[in-house]
Amino acid sequence: MTAQMKLGAFLWATGHHIAAWRHPKAHVTAGVDIDHYVQLARAAEAAKFDMIFCEDAAGLREANIGIASQTSRSIGFEPISLLSALAVQTSRIGLVSTASTSYNEPYGLARTFLSLDHLSSGRAGWNLVTSASPIEAANFGSTGLKPHADRYERAREFAEVVTGLWHGKASGHDGQSFSVRDPLDLPRSPQGAPVMVQAGASDVGRDLAARTADVVFTAAQTFDEAKAFYDDLKGRMAAYGREPDDIKIMPGVSPVVAETEAEARDKHEELQELIPDDVGVALLSSYLSISDLWRYPIDGPLPELPESEGMKSRQALVVEQSRRDGLSIRQLARHFAGARGHWRIVGTAAQVADELQARFEGGAADGFNVMPSYFPGELDAFATLVVPELRRRGLFRKDYEGRTLRDHLGLKRPV
Amino acid sequence: MHLAISLNIAAATGETVLDFSRISKFVRQAEAAGVDMIVSSDTADGPSSSPFEATTLLAALATVTDRIGLVASASTLAHQPYNLARRFASLDIISHGRIGWHATMAQDSREAANFSRPEGFSDTDFRRRAEEYIGIVRGLWQGWDADALLFDKTGGRFHDPEKMHLLDHKGEFFSVRGPLNVARSPQDTPVLVLSGLSEPDLDIAARNADVILLESGSAESAKIRFDDLRRRATAAGRDPDAMRVLTNISFAPDDTRAATADRLESQFRTRSCDGFNIQVRCSMLDEFTDLVLPVLRQRGLVREGYRGTTLRSHLGLAGGGDR
Ligand SMILES: Cc1cc2nc3c(=O)[nH]c(=O)nc-3n(C[C@H](O)[C@H](O)[C@H](O)COP(=O)(O)O)c2cc1C
Repeated sequence: MTAQMKLGAFLWATGHHIAAWRHPKAHVTAGVDIDHYVQLARAAEAAKFDMIFCEDAAGLREANIGIASQTSRSIGFEPISLLSALAVQTSRIGLVSTASTSYNEPYGLARTFLSLDHLSSGRAGWNLVTSASPIEAANFGSTGLKPHADRYERAREFAEVVTGLWHGKASGHDGQSFSVRDPLDLPRSPQGAPVMVQAGASDVGRDLAARTADVVFTAAQTFDEAKAFYDDLKGRMAAYGREPDDIKIMPGVSPVVAETEAEARDKHEELQELIPDDVGVALLSSYLSISDLWRYPIDGPLPELPESEGMKSRQALVVEQSRRDGLSIRQLARHFAGARGHWRIVGTAAQVADELQARFEGGAADGFNVMPSYFPGELDAFATLVVPELRRRGLFRKDYEGRTLRDHLGLKRPV
Repeated sequence: MHLAISLNIAAATGETVLDFSRISKFVRQAEAAGVDMIVSSDTADGPSSSPFEATTLLAALATVTDRIGLVASASTLAHQPYNLARRFASLDIISHGRIGWHATMAQDSREAANFSRPEGFSDTDFRRRAEEYIGIVRGLWQGWDADALLFDKTGGRFHDPEKMHLLDHKGEFFSVRGPLNVARSPQDTPVLVLSGLSEPDLDIAARNADVILLESGSAESAKIRFDDLRRRATAAGRDPDAMRVLTNISFAPDDTRAATADRLESQFRTRSCDGFNIQVRCSMLDEFTDLVLPVLRQRGLVREGYRGTTLRSHLGLAGGGDR
């Protein structure tokens, strides 16, 4: 049997496109409608996705409230409660939620995810993030966003405590940032331990992933970027005594798919047209970690930027693309607003499958985190058009073989 | 009278661990009996064999029940206020307005030791911190006006920025800008349940709580405490009827049904509480719902079925949704 790719269904309110909520077919009340999520989760499960993936931010996404009010991102479900509800409304699909190491305590987080793991009989995963937004920081104190290196040092200790607790380590922990006296008061995970996912692509981020992650979520536009990231991360694992196959690297992909290429292009254009310029520029500013991008002419090039203390990896990606393609601020804004810096494929099922296959077989990805442009339409389009095409090529499962998320992903069970 | 069932999912030594289907069966049984709410504890004394943390359990229970109120304990030591406010606001939307947050005013040394506070807080610091914490959570829950979301696709206005409010809290223990990134609760705010009150906590409870759980004592002392709390609420400028005081009662199956019903009736009729929080092992719940409750109903002390759909409506408290 040929190797098969892993697929995540990244669910996010009205959709991943910044203007998704304005699309006539988008479910606009998604952020307050649990039934919408139950339907999406069941659709993803019927298509045999490995997992559902949820992002998180402990605060608004956008500091400018005028801009924020033109997007659907300011309200939504808190992901751990959302996935706990979905856990008992599904039976096979994995359930992965993002949670921050900067604004939680390891004992509570370990306990909460282990509880989700029990509710789902072994289908839970935690996406570790260090939270790069000053908006979030202002909800947890008055000292502002901590420097990148400090956040990652805390994250390293945090991950060590959480995995120790999941693995039933009996002795306490007394470290730089945390002290924990007791073992967890819940029984051991049905899959050995919940799955550890990580998103964060800076040098320290990659090292932490190489040491602790089971799955890595990344953003890469081109094959070469994806391949370079893949090789670099897998290359770092030996230093921690791990095999390359112990981590599944799953870049985000935002496909716009239709029966014909022309239809797919129309669909994409329809969404792009819905992005207001000020929203696009604001989003681009946040990726670049600067606040005054709006001062520069929108049809001119990007200004020179200081290196970010926030998301270093995302800033580098935007700057790289602007130089490569000679794009103006407006063009970059539209481009990144659409899929938020993730890879976008517009085309037929065969074209989308070709591109996924090339990255998968070219050693640039072990699978993909699928980010539908709007819900429910584009998740359904992927499930009914692309998934059958991948199956015909032997690249994706026809049915679940195992029960747990570790089973689906082909991960070792920790001892 | 108002009735809560305290759900003790932590199995005692020698008992089998409860899985989700067993727990949901108990909660549906309490729902079929028309109980106002269940209160899920979150820590066991000594090693627990319960596989669930309370807020995650509640989210799951919300999807398999329709009417009963669902209250989870969550400690002010274990969560940051912004995160706790978000979790409960989200639970309230998942359950269509049936959620309550149970906070205890008693510090749990076990929690302090596992949440990077090995020394814990002094009693007075813990109390001041808890009151500040509760104020933040309630403030965050009110960050979005009921008509803030516009969903206006063609106009490009998702919400009205004038109807979203920053909290801008800067206090002794916390600094929280807000607003919450979860929409307003279907019942305006989730229900706030307080317990573990010592004397200096009474004013805090009388100012803030929707529901107060008191330990059982003699009928006379219960009456004194009840009157005292209502007086304090009035002094704080609150309608004392905007708060429900429930007395914890442990129910053992060898109590006869008439004796239990008599005990509850006499405490209720002497106006020493608004109702009871029944502490009963899951496996013995049907003894209460099938034997005691019908007696209380016959005597006209407990309403038949649910009238509204939100927990606030079951408790007869003001708030959004239906009353
Ligand atoms: C693909 C990707 C997805 C991410 N998703 C989130 C998220 O949902 N929430 C969040 O707070 N941070 C998210 N992050 C941010 C990182 O986890 C991290 O906090 C920040 O990017 C700094 O790490 P880096 O400089 O190593 O990339 C994401 C990062 C990447 C690369």
